[in-house]
Amino acid sequence: MTTTKPEPTAAARKPKLPRADDPRNPNKRLAALFDEGSLELVSEDDDSGMLAAVGTVDGAPVVAFCSDATVMGGAMGYQGCKVVVRAYERAVSDGVPIVGLWHSGGARLAEGVLSLHAVGEIFHAMTTASGAIPQISVVLGPAAGGAAYGPALTDVVILGPEGRIFVTGPEVVRSVTGENVDMLRLGGPEPHGRRSGVVHVLTDSEDQAIGEARRLAALLGVPGVLDPAAVEDVDLGALLPDSPKRAYDVHPLVGAVLDEGSALELHGRWAPNICTALGRFGGRTVGVVANNPLRLGGCLDSLSAEKASRFVRMCDAFGVPLIVLVDVPGYLPGVGQEWDGVVRRGAKLLHAFSECSVPRVTLVTRKAYGGAYIAMNARSLGATKVFAWPGAEIAVMGAVAAVRILHRRKLAEVTPDIRPQVEAELAVEHEKIAGGVDKAVEIGVVDAVVDPATTRSRIAATIADALAASGPVRGQHGNIPL
Amino acid sequence: MAHEIVAEMVANVMQIVVAPGDQVVPGDTIVVLESMKMEIPVLTERAGVVDAVKVSTGDVVQEGDILAVLR
Repeated sequence: MTTTKPEPTAAARKPKLPRADDPRNPNKRLAALFDEGSLELVSEDDDSGMLAAVGTVDGAPVVAFCSDATVMGGAMGYQGCKVVVRAYERAVSDGVPIVGLWHSGGARLAEGVLSLHAVGEIFHAMTTASGAIPQISVVLGPAAGGAAYGPALTDVVILGPEGRIFVTGPEVVRSVTGENVDMLRLGGPEPHGRRSGVVHVLTDSEDQAIGEARRLAALLGVPGVLDPAAVEDVDLGALLPDSPKRAYDVHPLVGAVLDEGSALELHGRWAPNICTALGRFGGRTVGVVANNPLRLGGCLDSLSAEKASRFVRMCDAFGVPLIVLVDVPGYLPGVGQEWDGVVRRGAKLLHAFSECSVPRVTLVTRKAYGGAYIAMNARSLGATKVFAWPGAEIAVMGAVAAVRILHRRKLAEVTPDIRPQVEAELAVEHEKIAGGVDKAVEIGVVDAVVDPATTRSRIAATIADALAASGPVRGQHGNIPL
Repeated sequence: MAHEIVAEMVANVMQIVVAPGDQVVPGDTIVVLESMKMEIPVLTERAGVVDAVKVSTGDVVQEGDILAVLR
């Protein structure tokens, strides 16, 4: 005889595991972060909702803390927040990176304002440490309210596949605004990876999320020494299309400038018209900022300027030299941009590069026009060196566009059939006088025209010389989440 | 599920690369736009079959306009 079994209830499907077997157990999550056998707890393994430890990542010391989602969903009370604050004190005094693994519904309601006060103390500790030690957050489950702003104050936010970040959860949203929305749409990978810019790195599994945190801790915590002899030359020019008008994806170029396989892109899907990546260059950690012509033609706009500003300031704070790859047609025009504050947000990038004290080398691969030319670490903003590839155009605007304005009357007088020809002739003439890379070298805004096939070694020599001349330098400022 | 490929910015449609019924994989070019004096290929991030192409060569598209729909 066969019987139809009733659907198991939710409780029956998900029996509460003993804490030791629960995958959310913070002991397990911290163990996955550290080198095997290196973990040493620095807080009591109790019901505070937070657990902290020291250990090593690739042999280098790191401090970490983890929400205990097995206790009240990881809610943060006074004791748990103290664990985090003490972990910060330890990381700052040791001068080592700190990694936070988050899975928490926010402040403990039952503790009232005391828990809010304690969460605020975490924010204060994070801000005090900003720019002094690298701070990496990994969000592995829901991170609401205070648990959302904690990661947001740190340098890099990594999202696990189950990570959800929001100020107020679906129920509050529903009761206040009537809007029906689930956690995924409120604060999952799509909104934060693509739209809000809250998350820097998206991942497909918890293991990968923690693995990326290990890579970042090593990149930021162990910068290494640049060995120019280890920087092999490759023909980077082969990575660009033949037609100068054709857009292309800049990622292969970024990957080829950096040591093979070392690139770790931040904010890959948000403001994708600019690429920001950390990686190794001759063994040393560097940052790359590159216009991506495939998206929005590589134009700078308000979001990409803001994204790059924050990245530049982070690199400067941690003494990470910058390589800036420029192929930019200008700022994106339009009312949307102006109303979006492209002037205010674009100014951040001018400020970020201008205040930057680490070595920073600019390479103009194809073109740099107008205000965007300046914003991409031009000579005038204090670039260590500005290189350009042969044939690069550096100008206020494209030559044809320029002569249309400069010779408007003359062009109006000729018949339309020969106008393109006259424009072309005037453009050649104009380039001789105003644009062209030779003129840029002559007036000193480009230091040298370099062969794409020797560009890597030229950049390496420049950064190595600058580091040797200045010693280790880093910007004396925090990394406000711009 | 239908997936819309939209224009990121104001542009002229230079070239239609795919036709309805075509199989596409991530990285394939759907159309080529012309904007900021550049030829900008629009790639798909997803695999699928082209259900419809919503623009023609020479059209001017605005930011957010649908270029093609995948299924």
